[in-house]
Amino acid sequence: MITGEQKPIDEIREMIAPYKRILVLGCASCVAECAAGGEKETAMLASTLRMAAKMKGEDVLIEEKTLDRQCVRDFVILLDDIIEKYDAVLSLGCGAGVQAVAEMFTEVPIIPAINTEFLGETRDQGYWVESCLGCGDCMLHHFGGICPVARCSKQLLNGPCGGSMDGRCEINPDVKCAWHLIVDRLTKFGALDRLENIYPPKDWSRKQGGGPRKIVREDQQK
Amino acid sequence: MTSEQKRTLALYYCQNVPASGERERQDLEEKYGRGIRLFTVPCSGRLEPIHLLLALEEFADVVFIITCPEGVCRYSEGNKRAKKRVEKTRAIIASIGLEVERIGMIIGSKENPISLADHARAAMERTLKLPPSPVHN
Ligand code: SF4
Ligand code: SF4
Repeated sequence: MITGEQKPIDEIREMIAPYKRILVLGCASCVAECAAGGEKETAMLASTLRMAAKMKGEDVLIEEKTLDRQCVRDFVILLDDIIEKYDAVLSLGCGAGVQAVAEMFTEVPIIPAINTEFLGETRDQGYWVESCLGCGDCMLHHFGGICPVARCSKQLLNGPCGGSMDGRCEINPDVKCAWHLIVDRLTKFGALDRLENIYPPKDWSRKQGGGPRKIVREDQQK
Repeated sequence: MTSEQKRTLALYYCQNVPASGERERQDLEEKYGRGIRLFTVPCSGRLEPIHLLLALEEFADVVFIITCPEGVCRYSEGNKRAKKRVEKTRAIIASIGLEVERIGMIIGSKENPISLADHARAAMERTLKLPPSPVHN
């Protein structure tokens, strides 16, 4: 899932200041799971902005809507009937959602209300952790399902640095050392010898070496 | 018009608050008239920041939540959750310059149970200490 966090309200107010009719647009997928931009958060932000406007005597229309998925055109098209009513859209989608709306509705400014953070997992209620960098060449099978690229602070591929202590990363004792986890897990599987291999430096051309990436699947097309 | 009627208090209360049945509710509505709006909830943990925000946006000068005592919540964690949500909502209203005192919370006491009417009086006293909400004025 893609995670994000809402921007400070002052920053949002500054970005929407030039506009008088604003649609606050949520997304019911990833950003709902991380409680940043789902239906609830969209309603909260819209209500907060309306109150702030009333307190300052500003004459603005602020309404809200949440799409099932803001990064999928089949859902974004649902704005077609209503978008003319607004002179700006304040999106709580991730960066991909914001851009999908911007690309379909070129006449209306789209403003991001959240900072998109990382690809991660929900570890517990109210607790999300980064777990993948989308490197384009997954190596998890070598490392017992624990990603050293995303979870080792130094992205080391050939064992821990010298700073690992009591299972904690030297950058911060709150962070588990990915390599400690990898060694524990491979030991459990009796597969520690996998670490005899020397892994060459990662080939980052699979990430963004060729510019923005795309996936084309003819079997999925019309 | 009594001074109470110059403000509107939105009072959300857990259904386990003592003496909070339909009759007591009607008595309160009669006593405070338009100055109070009462909302009973099966558990205060069900309340979300959006409920508090919409009340402040639409009609209330002050919002109060009355929970059952900590440790006796029938749904185990409801009142603890309510406390966190109140804190979150306070942070939101503070971010637009609204006084955090506009969201109040009273946690009932196990040893010294207090009726809804007494809670309402205390909440109303605190409501009247604040000026009318700048959202509605
Ligand atoms: S190896 Fe690459 S694709 Fe696999 S989890 Fe790590 S960053 Fe993600
Ligand atoms: S302590 Fe562990 S996680 Fe941190 S940088 Fe070193 S090897 Fe990576």
